[in-house]
Amino acid sequence: MTTLSVAASSSSRRRAWSRGLLAGPVCFITAAAVMAGASLWYPQGAAQINNIAVPIIVFPAIWAALFFYLMLDRKLGRAWLVAGVLLFAHAALIGQHLLAVQAAKSAAAPVTEGAAP
Amino acid sequence: MIALSQGRTKELLAIHGWSGVLLGLLLYAVILTGVIAVFAHEIGEWSAPLPYAEHELPQQGLDAAMRARASEVDPAYVDDISFFSDTAGRIRTFFHTHGTKPGESTPTDRGVEFDLDPRTLAVLDRREGWADELHEQNLPAALADFFVELHVSLHLPNPWGLLVTGILGLAMMVASVTGFLVHRHLIRELFTLRKKKDPLLVKRDAHVIAGTWNLPFAFVLAFTGSYFSFAGAFSIPAVAMVAFGGDQEKLIETVVGVSVPENKTPAPFANLDAMLADAKARTGAVAGFVSISHYGRADAVVSLSMMPLEGELASDNLIYNGATGAFVQQKPFLGQTPSLGNDLFLLMTPLHFGHFAGIWSKAVWFALGFAGAYVTLTGMLLWTTRRQHQPGWAKLARAAHWMGYGLPLALAAVSLARFAAPLLDVDVRAAQYATFIGAALLATAIALKVRDLDALRRVLLAGTGIALLLAAPLRYLSGGPGWITAFDAGLATVIALDVALLLAGALCIAAARRAKPVTLPMNERLPEEASAA
Repeated sequence: MTTLSVAASSSSRRRAWSRGLLAGPVCFITAAAVMAGASLWYPQGAAQINNIAVPIIVFPAIWAALFFYLMLDRKLGRAWLVAGVLLFAHAALIGQHLLAVQAAKSAAAPVTEGAAP
Repeated sequence: MIALSQGRTKELLAIHGWSGVLLGLLLYAVILTGVIAVFAHEIGEWSAPLPYAEHELPQQGLDAAMRARASEVDPAYVDDISFFSDTAGRIRTFFHTHGTKPGESTPTDRGVEFDLDPRTLAVLDRREGWADELHEQNLPAALADFFVELHVSLHLPNPWGLLVTGILGLAMMVASVTGFLVHRHLIRELFTLRKKKDPLLVKRDAHVIAGTWNLPFAFVLAFTGSYFSFAGAFSIPAVAMVAFGGDQEKLIETVVGVSVPENKTPAPFANLDAMLADAKARTGAVAGFVSISHYGRADAVVSLSMMPLEGELASDNLIYNGATGAFVQQKPFLGQTPSLGNDLFLLMTPLHFGHFAGIWSKAVWFALGFAGAYVTLTGMLLWTTRRQHQPGWAKLARAAHWMGYGLPLALAAVSLARFAAPLLDVDVRAAQYATFIGAALLATAIALKVRDLDALRRVLLAGTGIALLLAAPLRYLSGGPGWITAFDAGLATVIALDVALLLAGALCIAAARRAKPVTLPMNERLPEEASAA
């Protein structure tokens, strides 16, 4: 086996592992982040529940769409980029929301402590 | 024909095959037990029938029965009361409160559960404890529960079991989508069965025909199944964490609940029978599930979930003031006004369980589910049999035979344990688990001992046939009604399931006697692979 073919085989194996990692755990975590984050940006609707119910119900569809894209995009780097942007955008959205909730709780806490005997 | 490049077809075919092979063994177990679970109610009625067939909540007498039971339980347990028609028509009545079991962090229910006779409303059984303990004590539902829990969580602890079955649902979705895309001639393959060709090609054609007809159904089942698994395992907790700071009860209260200002002032409870009659007059339907919050308080609320009317998939909830009996509102199951979220939510259950048109839709779901199990098994057998001369694949081919034919044997043996356990005076649920594991170990030993795969198939099929043939006689010997008694009592389910099991047993024996098929040389390609190469 030539040095060139060994290098090609090694590169192909690395790409296969990278694709497996991307379409496996990364895809699942990203889909979960999109679902959880969607509860913050999806319209509530008149009944005020669409933002909660719809993302939970369509989670398998979110995962499937992402899985097929990440599996079949010929440009592996672009697939990583798309997954990364989706994941970090939703993680940031969720983080910002949780920090705001925490800040609101902290702002309310001194009043409670002050009122305690 | 779906236009795809050869490279794309090859990739999709690889995804299709590997998604099936990697998770196929467990997926087959989930689909097969799902097929059985379609008839969970019927299995309950068959294994623990009452002297008559009754499947609806009585519209008169529940009020008196509830008051009588409420007076004899711990007052803390009247915080939440529910009624519904359960195994063989028994009215399961649960008086409970919410708490956290010692040593655990997740809130659960604790209380007293009664099984009431649907005609006389007499107490048939009384169970007390935490929700999981009540479940273990419920004897009439034991057999159906075993199959349902194997389907839902593979009997693994939560949330791991749900996560595994959710992932299996996703794998099934991938297999169905890629199966659709790799078909070179979709319409032609719906009808192509080359009977006079090589046996492996005939099997491949049968796999493709069953799979092609079954594609839309497989997709629907996979989607709804993974939704149900993931919703309980992590979707609801994740959304609760984000939108409600981790408070799942607040999420459920927001989405499902009725907001009533807290008022702990004692107040007599209004007449439940009158509320049931009013609900029937308003909707034309009968209540399928009754829930009462804060019984005996001024803020008591009664929620009646109505059964869907004929030709409809879902129905609304009716809310009553428990202290006055006054009608408050008719609302969707989720939220206070109609919404996309509620419509999608209500679609999931009938699409997955197939109970929207009674026994006929269940029969269709059973047939299509059975075809799904067949496609999964034949897919694994085709993939592994053609590679069985290669290292590693021979073991997988053996494992596919072991699971494919050993699981039905273990499941059939469980029904024998259900009826033998009371005769031997042992715990029914423990006997079911032990028998299932014992039968699985026996199948494993046979799979390791019998070298020829077709002989293995025939031995396991014969065992399954014998177990199925024994189920009906054992049911009768353990005190169940005979056919004449069942016929007189209108228990058609008992007779129908007996006959179905006897027929299935005979078919298994006949299949076990069939001759060994010849396999295709390992280097010969199937049409998709040839066209993709």
